[in-house]
Amino acid sequence: MDNTSDVTLRTAVYRHFASTGRSPTLDEMREAIGATSDQIKDAYQRLYARRMLVPADDFASIRMAPPFSGVPTQHRVTVNGTQYFANCAWDAFGVVSALGGTGDVRSRCEQTLDPLVLHLTPDGPPPSEWLFHCVVPAAKWWNDIVFT
Amino acid sequence: MLFFRSEDALDEWCKAGQLPRRPTATLPQLWQMAVSWYANRLSEEARRPDPSEIRQIFARIGLTDSFWDPRADEF
Repeated sequence: MDNTSDVTLRTAVYRHFASTGRSPTLDEMREAIGATSDQIKDAYQRLYARRMLVPADDFASIRMAPPFSGVPTQHRVTVNGTQYFANCAWDAFGVVSALGGTGDVRSRCEQTLDPLVLHLTPDGPPPSEWLFHCVVPAAKWWNDIVFT
Repeated sequence: MLFFRSEDALDEWCKAGQLPRRPTATLPQLWQMAVSWYANRLSEEARRPDPSEIRQIFARIGLTDSFWDPRADEF
């Protein structure tokens, strides 16, 4: 596979997340773009190096295609009736943005566990005193992106 | 990258976990970050911003602490 095919695969992965709310399987991507499993695994490695997605350890699925998460998290998003998991607070807003700018975010305060429920529109969130915080500085986000 | 309902709640969380207290962003700032990173993520032309673009995005949003600098070496 060449760079053009990598773009095709990446786009297919993202569109699968967008339409279903879950990670594609290796078989689904093989059928979608007509490549072998080894070709797709190699392309996943290249896309990871370009910080576009994070494959699962066994390459059978996608752990992260930011802002989408391939595994359940506390950050849940609903857009047009489809439910998604986001990787983090930033990505919860990111899922809404990627899917057109209108949707609902459900998450929590990590200290008090109080629920956060927000309806986002293209104008942004409603007035709120809630905060976003990240322990890892920007220069080190991709040193361990799953932890970040 | 987490949500907190107040500065007090964040302080308690950092103290309990012995984690560093970092600069925060408001939810309107977070929305601008999300739009800058992800609004075109489903298109074939999608790409992650490069470091200079990241600096510009954060500066435009008002996040100017070196914590947000993708090339900062002080952390």
